[in-house]
Amino acid sequence: MDPQQKTAPAPDSYPGEALPADIRAEIAPLLAPDETIRLAVTTDMRLDGLYGPAYLLATDRHLYSIHPNGGRPDVARVELPRIVSIEVQELYGSNALKVRTDDRGMVVALFSKSLVDRFAQVPERLAALVRQARPEAGAELVNRSSRRHGPPQRRCATCGLVIPQRLGVCPNCLDKRRLLARFWSYSLPYWPLVATSLVILLADTFIGLTPPLLMRTLIDNVFQPADKIAQSAGSAAAAAAGIRQMRVHLPLLGPLSPTGALLALVLLLLAINVSRNALGAVRSYLLARLGQLITYDLRVEVYHHLHSLSLSFYNDRDTGRIMNSVTQDVGRLQDFLSDGLQEIVRDVLTILIIVSILFYLNATLAAFVLLPTPLIILVTLRFGHRLHMIYHRLWRRWAALSSLLADVIPGVRVVKAFAQEAREVRKFDARCTDLLRGELGAARVRSIFGPVMAFLTSLGTLIIWWVGGREVLGTELTLGSFVAFTGYMWQFYAPVEGLCRLNHRFQHAATSAERVFEVLDTAPEITDREHAVPMPRIDGRVEFRNVTFEYEPGKPVLHDLTFSVEPGEMIGLVGHSGAGKSTIINILCRFYDVTAGAVLVDGLDIRDVQLKSLREQIGVVLQEPFLFNGSVAGNIAYGNPQADLEDIVAAAKAANAHEFILELPEGYDAELGERGVRLSGGERQRVSIARAILRNPRILILDEATASMDTETEAKIQEALGRLVRGRTTFAIAHRLSTLKNAHRLLVIERGRLVEIGTHDELLAENGIYARLCRMQSELSRIRAV
Amino acid sequence: MEAEYTLAAELDLLEPGSLRLYRDEFDDLVLVRDGQRLPGVRLVRCFPHSAIWRMLAVRDAHGREVGIIPDLRELDERSRQAAEAELDRLYFIPQIVRVLDIEERFHVAAWDVETDRGRRRFEIRSGHRDIQVLGTRILIRDADGNRYEIPDYRRLDRRSQALIDSQV
Repeated sequence: MDPQQKTAPAPDSYPGEALPADIRAEIAPLLAPDETIRLAVTTDMRLDGLYGPAYLLATDRHLYSIHPNGGRPDVARVELPRIVSIEVQELYGSNALKVRTDDRGMVVALFSKSLVDRFAQVPERLAALVRQARPEAGAELVNRSSRRHGPPQRRCATCGLVIPQRLGVCPNCLDKRRLLARFWSYSLPYWPLVATSLVILLADTFIGLTPPLLMRTLIDNVFQPADKIAQSAGSAAAAAAGIRQMRVHLPLLGPLSPTGALLALVLLLLAINVSRNALGAVRSYLLARLGQLITYDLRVEVYHHLHSLSLSFYNDRDTGRIMNSVTQDVGRLQDFLSDGLQEIVRDVLTILIIVSILFYLNATLAAFVLLPTPLIILVTLRFGHRLHMIYHRLWRRWAALSSLLADVIPGVRVVKAFAQEAREVRKFDARCTDLLRGELGAARVRSIFGPVMAFLTSLGTLIIWWVGGREVLGTELTLGSFVAFTGYMWQFYAPVEGLCRLNHRFQHAATSAERVFEVLDTAPEITDREHAVPMPRIDGRVEFRNVTFEYEPGKPVLHDLTFSVEPGEMIGLVGHSGAGKSTIINILCRFYDVTAGAVLVDGLDIRDVQLKSLREQIGVVLQEPFLFNGSVAGNIAYGNPQADLEDIVAAAKAANAHEFILELPEGYDAELGERGVRLSGGERQRVSIARAILRNPRILILDEATASMDTETEAKIQEALGRLVRGRTTFAIAHRLSTLKNAHRLLVIERGRLVEIGTHDELLAENGIYARLCRMQSELSRIRAV
Repeated sequence: MEAEYTLAAELDLLEPGSLRLYRDEFDDLVLVRDGQRLPGVRLVRCFPHSAIWRMLAVRDAHGREVGIIPDLRELDERSRQAAEAELDRLYFIPQIVRVLDIEERFHVAAWDVETDRGRRRFEIRSGHRDIQVLGTRILIRDADGNRYEIPDYRRLDRRSQALIDSQV
């Protein structure tokens, strides 16, 4: 059977797209009685280049392209068995689907880039239908022409909303309550801490709200009675005597002299202030502790999980964002947990308590006083939103300015060499002007916001003065309550404003949380199967059986690859960049799983063995050797931390690295710095070869191991590699064919297919692609030699 | 003495007088050059943003460059029409004639516009990367990779201008 058939979708599965009734009515008379629709796709562009729906329909016999144009739609019909090719053309701003018969060709559908996903499977489905109608049709019906194109579209998989660049997660699908609940699950282990902090927070808030009540007692129970005595007494002396004899009844304390009562109140206020601040200190430490503990747990968990994820996770995301998840996002969460949450609790509590006290003191006045509150909320929200937008725009301008700097400053040699200083200054000036305008706009809004809020807040006081003042005059309200009201008023609006601004703060924390959980929720794609066995010591027989692989669905990178390699054989992989050589390696290491077919090592499907036991026996030397920050010895022993000193030195000698290592004053203990910056490229490569030698792998992979070396260094490395490959199955990728002179056989890969296989001499005799590559390279090297 | 190096010698310019372009029964563009017929050629704009009718590279069916047409306007009328129609299909860049609304949600701006090809709604992911402002001309790339152009936004109606100003 044709192998292509296996991967193609079943032709009778009908992608359930509903056609409008009028189109169905229009098409029905065209169909033969037993003709059934097998494929229907709606597109967003018509063939005349205007936006609008159009339809592509395929039955078991025909392909119909239907274009409404006001009246009866235009219908073009192609007989399926006559189709000899189906082309997908990626154009600038749109895509086209074209079919050819042997005497005709026509574009049957245009679609915008937004429908790329919808059309991804259409050509293959169509091809399957054609093959059903004309079984002798070949496998190569579908042609895709593509130019380089921009980044793939980023839409949320659930809601289809575009995901903002700086977020990376869909803000619409964030279930904030679920996120919060999830956070609770992280704080549960620390429940005693949570409970204590909450109790302290409650006490703290309560105590903080008592001073106006003390003030009320002071006025109503001490000052006012004293004042009355003074008013009624004839002389100053009589007044003083009267006040001295006066007795004040304070709750819990017996009758007191006015001075005694005053002292009691002062002491009480002192106690309140002391305990309030002490509690505040304890609370803020406890909450910070809680936040830090949760952050620590989360950060370690995120990093641990990152290491269990497959390579494809890293390919889809940039390093910066992953690093941000571990550092900034987790940090921002902690900020929200330790500061944000307690502010919410305190603000809500404060508002509730103040409202109840006000209503207890005087319900009518309380109702009046709270009147401006909705207005304040409204204004805060509006201004907040406005400010947020302005800040965002400012942030964008700042980003533009710094990206200009990051671009130009490192290129200052070029600027000077081409004498373009003046132009660069003008560019900078223009961006600065934008920034200035933005900042001035922000300053305008900010400077209006402050006074407006102050005015609105003072409305409350005005109301107290007028309404409350009249009640005091009418003796319905005591002077003390009046003063207490004023005091509470000032404490009331700050939490209201705080809660209004909470939305943005919460939004930030929620996106951070989502990014963190995105990492935690990604399941590793490559995992051990349930019954996976440890890989026994590998002999080295490697077999690819009909391997097909796609990174993206519908775009296979490897097509039906079949070959087998004997133990100890060295295989050279040859082909243009992008032909699929590295993909073969990635699949052999099981960084990815095959889409179809299987890879066998010593007759075992590599998906049936434990991942760790497989990779332990594979050694890799890459073009860009990656050394970690640490000593030379530590880097050589990266794969075997338990290695003896003897083995480390032996491996370095085998890799021709021993000599230069001893040139370093610290020898094997020399620290390499980040990414091994203290070594040259060739030296780094030799350290990485020593690393591979020490690991003593059964399968060795050399991915362009000598690509960036000068001739002499290359010779040294080649010599070292010669030792390394002995007795091991080796796969070597190289552009310079001379590097592969030791290979037993060569596999020539072109566009994901194996096109030639054989020894150097056999392939030369075949006079195919390899022979051509060889001729070209020997010509080049002759030129180099001159 | 050797003749001085001239840059122009690098260019394989096609002589407009010796060229003919037409569309065959396969709906492919055919180039006829000095009587020689080359089917299935493809036109590529060297400057898709700044010079859409000049410097058009012609590639054969295998993607190899045949030469460059320096200026479309120098071709004969029918060839020019064939080339224009082909370019129009290859480079689908509707021109925005009116901005009806821009709604911002989570910093992703959703534009609702009237174009010369009909009404369209699209979303833009990141402001400065996807909206290119060249003086008063604006080039837009939406989240899916579709392209739009505003030839001169100062000539649009007031409301459209205000909406665009909020984005750039």
